[in-house]
Amino acid sequence: MNPGVRTAVDVGRGLVLKNPVLTASGTFGYGLEFEPYLDLAQLGGVVVKGISPKPRAGNAPARIVETPSGMLNAIGLQNVGVRRFVAEKLPHLRERDTAVVVNVYGTAVDDYVEVASALESEEGVAALELNLSCPNVKEGGLLIGKSPRAIEEVTAAVRRVSTRPLWVKLTPNVSDIVEVARSAVAGGADCLTLINTFVGMAIDVERRRPVLSNVMGGLSGPAIRPLAVAMVWQVHKALPDVPIVGIGGIVSARDVVEFMLAGARAVQVGTANFNDPGVATRIASDLAAFCVARGVTDVNELVGAAQRTPPASEGCG
Amino acid sequence: MAYNLVVPVTEQEDLGHGYFRIRLAAPEIAAESRAGQFVMIGVPDIDVMLIRRPFSVARVAPPEGGRPAGFDVLYKIYGKRTLAFSHLRPGSTMSVLGPLGRGFWIPDEHRDDGEAELFLVAGGIGNAPFPLLLQHLTPAQARRTTLFFGGRTRADLTLLDWFRERCGRVVTATEDGSHGVKGFVTAPLIAALDAEPRRPRAIMACGPPAMMKAVAAIGLQRNVPCQLSIEETMACGFGVCLGCVVERRDPTGDFDRFVRVCCEGPVFDAREVRL
Repeated sequence: MNPGVRTAVDVGRGLVLKNPVLTASGTFGYGLEFEPYLDLAQLGGVVVKGISPKPRAGNAPARIVETPSGMLNAIGLQNVGVRRFVAEKLPHLRERDTAVVVNVYGTAVDDYVEVASALESEEGVAALELNLSCPNVKEGGLLIGKSPRAIEEVTAAVRRVSTRPLWVKLTPNVSDIVEVARSAVAGGADCLTLINTFVGMAIDVERRRPVLSNVMGGLSGPAIRPLAVAMVWQVHKALPDVPIVGIGGIVSARDVVEFMLAGARAVQVGTANFNDPGVATRIASDLAAFCVARGVTDVNELVGAAQRTPPASEGCG
Repeated sequence: MAYNLVVPVTEQEDLGHGYFRIRLAAPEIAAESRAGQFVMIGVPDIDVMLIRRPFSVARVAPPEGGRPAGFDVLYKIYGKRTLAFSHLRPGSTMSVLGPLGRGFWIPDEHRDDGEAELFLVAGGIGNAPFPLLLQHLTPAQARRTTLFFGGRTRADLTLLDWFRERCGRVVTATEDGSHGVKGFVTAPLIAALDAEPRRPRAIMACGPPAMMKAVAAIGLQRNVPCQLSIEETMACGFGVCLGCVVERRDPTGDFDRFVRVCCEGPVFDAREVRL
């Protein structure tokens, strides 16, 4: 990208991304929908919509609502299923010069294993991201994601059938993020995606009922950014050698830098893609410009740098 | 092809009673919009407005140098976003993505046998997609088009004079009887359908959910092709957020129960969706 700065980042198990900016699962379709608006080759990677063994219809509407600096969604993992993904989406996506990360969703251990196995022989899958944290489906997801033992079990089961770099996307809806992070690593995770959405809800005060048909939804957007940064910080502090992909309300290059300073090696842009389908590559080029303007010659200098700088102590607070 | 642009506002007109018309200088979008298509619009600062909102492309401005100078959006103040839109002035900028989705389709465009052409049904701000439709009809087609225009009260019948100049016939209905027939707009629609010697080629409707449901039932019962311009909350407008789905009438299995309003719609045949 920018000749003045090295942007490549190593996110574990030998996977090197050309830059730290990826797009988040569930906000970027299967990538191809964005081609009128940006060049996928300018992204560090694309994380596709969660893929389950069978196609899923998702939840009844209403599925989304805007909230202060954020939005709630309860899509319910509508997706085409792994067979159609492999037949219809992957052949096009693998032609693009970017890392394709497949988000894998299931309601039981066998589902994760089934999708991972189906993808094992497919070319063009740079990594698997296990979605152990969707708050919007009644079975599975979040329950698995809240139990350290279940996280380890699912991760280990997929590890046994997949040689691909394995990312585990964790839910923030736990009392101790470091504990669940350790479980994923114990199960064989190469990288941690921190974090999925927070459980939230909105009530229509005129109609006196929940706005979303699913009642609860996942909160995303800038509203959750400080919460996400804190979790990245905590996990990086506890597990400094484990690669982290940070996610939560990123809308600009400055937000990327914030996550990297907390300890993330890469990030995912999510909800902002809805606002502006061209935003992700702009963030990637702005990040390089940010570094050049500050004399940063390698983005890896940023990773965890804030943990090495003592916090400000001046002032009268 | 949809354009993702930041463009100037060139006009902002207060139509009264909370209704506004805003004009955006986006010639590309204006030139390529079909009636019933929509745009996602917002203020350009994502920290101010995270989720853009969908609006019909209401009307294109007169051409300047071969293509229209821009297009109009009709809107009503419902919440703080539309309130903020109403405070924008010429020279302000908006972010806009469009044209998006599937618009109305005009059946048998070249047939000219003198029979009733189109029945348009609008409820309040649901009139928004119809000016562009009338701009795209031939004068002969427009003369054989009837607009059934309903609202709670006279104030909801915005651009009424504009429609009267272009439609062969405009029938109004208000719930309070302040203009036209007293009651819902579906009553004069049913009366006209039952009185016409031959059926219209299509009913095209846009309005509040209860009206849409009623019009769909009327069209299906009488076997008149019925196109519904549906609104649903959406975050992206181009098919990826999956927020804006409605139920399909004839799914082939559980996995395809829903269709996206933004891509498969927003205009659906009444036989395609379950409201």
